[in-house]
Amino acid sequence: MTQESNPFRRSFVPFRGRFDPCPPLGKRTFVTPPNLFIGFQPPDFPQFSPIEALKKGTLWKPFYDFYESPYKK
Amino acid sequence: MALMKSLPKEYYQQLEEIQAVDFVVYELVLYLDTHPNDSQAIQQYNQYAQYSKQLKTQFEALFGPLQFGTAVKNKQEWEWSTQPWPWQV
Repeated sequence: MTQESNPFRRSFVPFRGRFDPCPPLGKRTFVTPPNLFIGFQPPDFPQFSPIEALKKGTLWKPFYDFYESPYKK
Repeated sequence: MALMKSLPKEYYQQLEEIQAVDFVVYELVLYLDTHPNDSQAIQQYNQYAQYSKQLKTQFEALFGPLQFGTAVKNKQEWEWSTQPWPWQV
């Protein structure tokens, strides 16, 4: 169900109480953004071209963070 | 009178170029807020700010006013409030 290919994708199993009427949700996944791991941005970071930066939403290549749905289409 | 029919292709190309350059200017401003003495980025910011200004004057020369408060070329008619409005572009 979930693609494990993305190294930044993490998963957790939500807590389910003993008297929880709803069926268990199972494993939930989320993607951690790159800015968590970069910290203070060093100078001279690689950049996109202006048009590409506008489309990708950021000027700096390492901060580009797209989201692919892990569930099949 | 502003262009009533559909807008020419250059209109969109230049507008996209202006959007892209302004986006880079915004990104550099945010970057420079936290990195005040990165002279290389300041130099790049100056380049893009000047380029953005040049693009906007070129756009306004062709298609009428784009920014609020800049001098207009058309002396007979006030084009600021005529079509196309931003959502009609």
